[in-house]
Formats: sequence, structure tokens, C-alpha cells
Amino acid sequence: MTTESLPTMETTMPDPATPNRGLRSNGMRDLGPGDMARFRQIEARFLESAAAAGYREIRTPTIEPLHLYTAAGTLSPQALDRVYSFLDWDGWSGERVVLRPDATVAVARWYGEQGGAGEQRVSYVQPVYRFAPDGDREVWQCGVELFGAGASSADAELLLLARDTLAAIGIEGVSCDIAHAGLVRLAFAAAGLSSTEQLEAYDRVLEGDASVTADLAATHPQGAAALRLLSEVDGTSVGYVANLRAAMLPVIPAAASALDELEGAARALEAAGVSFRVRAGTARSFEYYSGLTFRFTAAGRECISGGRYDGLAETIGGSAAPGCGWAANLLGLAELLS
Amino acid sequence: MSPANDTRPVRVALPRGDLRMPVAERLRAANFIVEGYGEGSRSYRFDVNDRPGVQVRVFSDNDIPIQVAMGQFDFGIASRMWIDELLVRFPNDSIVPLRRLDIEGETLVAAAAPGSTLAGLASSGVMRVATEYPNIAQHYLTRLRVPDYRLYEVWAQAEAWPPEDAELAICSASAARREGLSILDEVHRGGVWLIANRAALASRDLSAALAPLVSLPGSNDWGGVVEPSPLAGVQRALPRPVVERETFRIAVPDGHAQRHTVTALAEAGITFEGYAEGEAVRHPVSSDPEVIVKVMRPQDMPRAVALGHFDLAMTGRDWLRAFTASFPSAPVVELCDLKRSKYRMGAVITEDLAVESIEEAVAFWRKDDPDRPIRVASEYASLADEYARSRHLRQYRVIPISGASEGFVPEDAEILIEGTETGSTLRANRLRMIDVIMESTNCAIGAATRPPGRRGELRDRFVERLTAAAEAVE
Repeated sequence: MTTESLPTMETTMPDPATPNRGLRSNGMRDLGPGDMARFRQIEARFLESAAAAGYREIRTPTIEPLHLYTAAGTLSPQALDRVYSFLDWDGWSGERVVLRPDATVAVARWYGEQGGAGEQRVSYVQPVYRFAPDGDREVWQCGVELFGAGASSADAELLLLARDTLAAIGIEGVSCDIAHAGLVRLAFAAAGLSSTEQLEAYDRVLEGDASVTADLAATHPQGAAALRLLSEVDGTSVGYVANLRAAMLPVIPAAASALDELEGAARALEAAGVSFRVRAGTARSFEYYSGLTFRFTAAGRECISGGRYDGLAETIGGSAAPGCGWAANLLGLAELLS
Repeated sequence: MSPANDTRPVRVALPRGDLRMPVAERLRAANFIVEGYGEGSRSYRFDVNDRPGVQVRVFSDNDIPIQVAMGQFDFGIASRMWIDELLVRFPNDSIVPLRRLDIEGETLVAAAAPGSTLAGLASSGVMRVATEYPNIAQHYLTRLRVPDYRLYEVWAQAEAWPPEDAELAICSASAARREGLSILDEVHRGGVWLIANRAALASRDLSAALAPLVSLPGSNDWGGVVEPSPLAGVQRALPRPVVERETFRIAVPDGHAQRHTVTALAEAGITFEGYAEGEAVRHPVSSDPEVIVKVMRPQDMPRAVALGHFDLAMTGRDWLRAFTASFPSAPVVELCDLKRSKYRMGAVITEDLAVESIEEAVAFWRKDDPDRPIRVASEYASLADEYARSRHLRQYRVIPISGASEGFVPEDAEILIEGTETGSTLRANRLRMIDVIMESTNCAIGAATRPPGRRGELRDRFVERLTAAAEAVE
């Protein structure tokens, strides 16, 4: 794998909001020759990095059945409101199809169709389509998924692969936020929130709404300290996880394995010399994740995000299998480099 | 155009049908007097007494939100369910709901056969849902977290589909009760609303109409889409097994097509008890116990046949063509032409345009702006789309409409895809057909593959008799 830095962009990425004469759809970009040269270089670095770690490239179809994404535990209703769904030319039976709104669900479908057994390490470079009023509606993602491996071995592997990939592309000054969706779910459930209320509370936490902790502490006073520590203090070392363990386990004993997973991730990052924070949440798709979630940033911008989704393969009709992965916005990485 | 020089009229869209009388009464009380509107005048356009800069146009209730969203009209009064049918799918659309009026509206419900539950239906197989409101239905089912469902977007009478042709209907509460269905949940609470175009409100002086319209008597009940509680613990279900029917099912139409169908059947020596001119029960009775009859809208029959719900259906060739334009591989075919209810379907433009072809008309519309989108309005949206593609109109917009169609051209659309029997209605509205797309008659349709066994024999027998009677017509 080469590590020399990539040349700067030859042309500027077009602003999707640039007025056009109605000849280009809103939210869609053209990539000129210079953009494509940069695109291919980043793609090559990503694929080299993934292949070196044993991840083989696959590609899934652009059109998938909508029902792949509608069950609880896949996309949230809010995300489903932004998908491009329509009736295909043979859709008289009312079965809608969708332009792939998320790569992981499609890859999980593929894994299930391969038999859904054993470890599979795969990578992909393909676009996802989601309505955005002002931004890109076609987002080129490069990502990896690892099926069949539990948190103890796979989470650290994914984190370190993300770090190595960003380094190979030439993105410097990287830091990482980690969280555990299962831990948050347990804390919310202990405070008596239903699954719908948990989603709302989680969104409030992500938005930095401190009042959510106060509300929950009022209904669950014995867990107030643990909730405050989880949602109001960002940890910066393995020591924070130890503090979390001391505050949470007496009131939420079931949180032990989630805390072990979080500690494992924190130790891996600390050992690799990656600056990190332990937070209450990092990813919007709360329904979808079951364990560790993470987000790498550089220069204040997100580079890579991902996490563990152990229930996903089964939810969409396959066999139960653990899974985890991450993805990056390829053009976002290009903009970060330029 | 700067606001100071803006001399465009303020345009208000008002509903026809059942809402016409209550809306007219309230407008009159608010000194917004539209002479002839409440009296049911056949005209589509009206002036407003003592408000010279204000114009009124009458539409079907369900067409008003899209007209306001497109900016063709500044204000509209419409049922909340049609406003939300647009807004749940296109939340960034430019409609501002201003005020709920004190006029009762329908409540939409999820309804099914008595004894059903939502969790039971969702877990027993892929849930088939019939509705006239596909966007509201999808919003509801997504939030209910139904793992897998199929939406049958029907023209009307969704309540007629359960239990044999769908598990669930999302329809008005009154229709569900009339049909004897159980109401399982509320989906949308209705009402009638005053709406406005956001950009027009932001940039133009609309006070000549806004002042009286916002003084209309209101209601504080907000209404709108109901957010359901997600179903707990429902697992993805397998598609329901296809069970080969023993009985032969026929669909016959109500509405305008009923008279011609009754005649065609009678001339073939076929009668059903409860289905005659001026009479249609949901399930007419055949003297042959093997034959089951159901009354439904002719627009929905091609889909119902393609789904395998019926062996024979009496509809129009226009509706079959509109369906296959959307779904060309659907397994439904015309079995025989009944040769009644004849009319031409084609592209209609204003009579005032002195052109010989649609190409000349397009060139005229684009003489000042070569990129101007051509607006094509039609009740047959798929045919309008097919026509625009086949005539290479380049930039065009299909405006789906559900009635009052002759009023669209020339102000609100350049082209109307419409049917005409004699052309007299078109002439009365200063319109003419410039391009004929098809000659339509009523017809019997069936599955592309002949059904097996006794059902196939019965289909052959019905088609033979209907064909013989139709040939006698000529």
C-alpha cells in the first residue's frame, strides 16, 4: 500500500445548490475528469487498505425492495420518509422498490443469501440515495462490513481498520468518538421509557439537550448519577469507562457486557494512540445499532461512522448473525483533502 | 416583477362537490361573495363581488392542494386529508395551512373484517392494504412498524376490498361502517382548511382575499395525521400462500359505466340479482352458485384482475390501457370488446390556438422560452406521461387531476388528456382535440393465462356470449 499523499483536486466539487436550467436534478452532482481522478485515487486507497485486512469487494443492486427497510430495527420512520421509493414497471401487486438508501442493510441481505454462516469480511464502493432538501441526494459511500464475528474480536479490528484507511488516504489529525447503543438502551429502559420514547430521548441527547437527563433522573432517581455520567460527561480515557461501570452496575446489572465492549474499544484506541471521547451517542440510526458505535472526525468534519448491528441480519429475514461495519462519504473525504 | 408592479390577480381555489354549499355559505357571511358558486353553476371560473383583483376557480377537492403547492393558486379551501396526502410525501412543499374552518370533515381509519386485529393481520402474512390515500397510508404503516405490506392504490371504494381482496382498507370511517368493517385504528382526523402558497404569502400583497378568508369561522381542533403506537413484537411474515379458487369471480362496475354494462350483460342473456340500471349492491347474486359477483370501480379492475382476484371484469379499454401504461408486464388482457360506451381519448388544447399539430402547438408555447415546461393535466396520469414521452415534449409536468378537467386549459395546463363522446363539452369550453390517442369502448378483461378447470370453462362461456351480443350491436 502506498502512503504518499494524494495530489490536490483539479477542479472544485460543484455546489449541489448551484442553480441550473433544470437539466440536472436537484441534489445531484457531476464529477468532471479531475474529480474522477481524485475519486478513483481515494477509492483505490480504500480498497487496498480493506483488502490488506482481508475484506473483499462486493456490489449490491441500486434497486432493492422497500420491505427490506421497513421492519423495526432497520431504518427509522424518519429515515424512511426520505427514501426514493416507487412502483416498478411490474409493481401492480403494490410491492414498492427503493433506490438503495443504506448500504449495510443491502449487504446484510446479501450475506443472508450466501447462507448467513461463518465470518464474511466485505467492502463496497457504491452510492446511497436519500432526499435532502439542500444537500447531496446521491452519496457515494465506501465501507466495510464484518459478519459472523462478535464484539470482543471484531470491534477493535474495525476501529483500527478505519484509522489505517484514513491514514492511507492521507487524512491527518484524526480523533474518534465512541458510544454503546445497547448501554443507552438499557439506561433508558431502566428509566421506564418505551422503545418509541427511547428514540426520542436519544435524539435529544444527540442534540445536546441536557434537560433529557433531568427528566429521566426525576423518574428514576436511583439511576440519576449513572445517567448524568453517561449523557453529560464525555470520557477521554479507559478510566472513564471504569467510572461508568462503578455508577451503572449497581442499578443496571445487565449493563456489564456492554461496558466490557465499550472498555475493549477504548483500550484498542488508547493502545493505537488515537485520541478519543466516550459519549452517550454517535450515530443517528439508533434503531439499527445494537452495540458499539463510533465516528472518526478530522478538522471538525465526520470522516467515517459505523457500529455494531447484531440483530440486523435476522430482522431482514436471514439467520441470526453478529455484524458490524463502517462507511465513509467518499466525496466528503475528497473535500476534506482539498 | 417587483411587488409594486405586480398586477397579477389573487387566485383562490374552491372545492366543488359536497363542500360547495357549506363553503359558499361561510364565504358569503365573510363578505367574500362568489355569485353562482354556491348555486352549483357549471362554470369553472368566477369573479368575486366588489373584489376586482380576486379570481376564483372551482376544482375537485383533492386537486386543490397541488394547485396551491405549484403556485398556480394563492389560496385554497380543501379537506385536510388531501392536504396531508401531499404534505406527508412532500413535506417541503410550499403550502401553509392557515386556518381550520368550522366544517366537519371525514376521519380516515384502518378497517378490516370484524374480529381482526392489526397485530394479527401484520403477523399472519404480508399485509395487503387498499387505499385512496397511498401517502398517508405509507406514513401510517411505516410508523406502525408493519414489517412487510403491499399498498393497493385504488381509485375509489377501498372499503370494498377487505376481506377477500385485501386484509386492510384505509378509508373514511363512514365508508368502513357502511361496508360492515371493523374500525381498528384512526389514521387521520379530517376537517376543512384554508391553505396558502408560501412564496405568494411571502412576496405578494394578497390582502384583498386574505382579510375576508382568515375571518371565516374557525375551529381550534388541529386534526391531521395520527401517529400510531408501533406494533410490539411483530416478526416479518411470509407472503400469503396462493390458494387456487374454486369459484368464478366477476367484477362489474358502478357509476357511469353501469348502464352500458347492464345492457351488454342483458343482451348476452346474463342477469345478476341486485345489479340493474339504477341499482347496485356490493355483491349481486348470480343464479349460478359457482359465480360470485362483486361491484367495484372500473378504474381498479385491471389491477384486481392482474392480482388474480377476478376471472372476468367489465371495464373500459381506457382504464386497461392506463393500467398497462404503468405496468406493461401485468398479466391482464382484453378478452372481448363490448362495443359500447364509445369515445375518443386524446390531447386537448385551447380552441384559440391556430395550429395543425401538437408539434406546432409546442413550438408556439416555447417561442419565448425554449425550456418552458409543458403542463399536461389528466385523470389518466400514466397515459398523459406516455403521451408526453412519445411526442418528445422534453421538459413537461404531468398534473394528475380528478375532475373538473375542462377548466384546466389554457390557464392551468397547456394540454389536457381527456375523453370525449361527441366533442360538445369540449366545444362548450372552447377546447378541441388535436391528437387522438385511442378509441375507447367498454370491454371484458381477464388474466393473461386462462384459468384452469371449471373456471376456464366458465370464462370461455361468458366471453362467447358477450362477444356474440357485442357483434349484434354492430
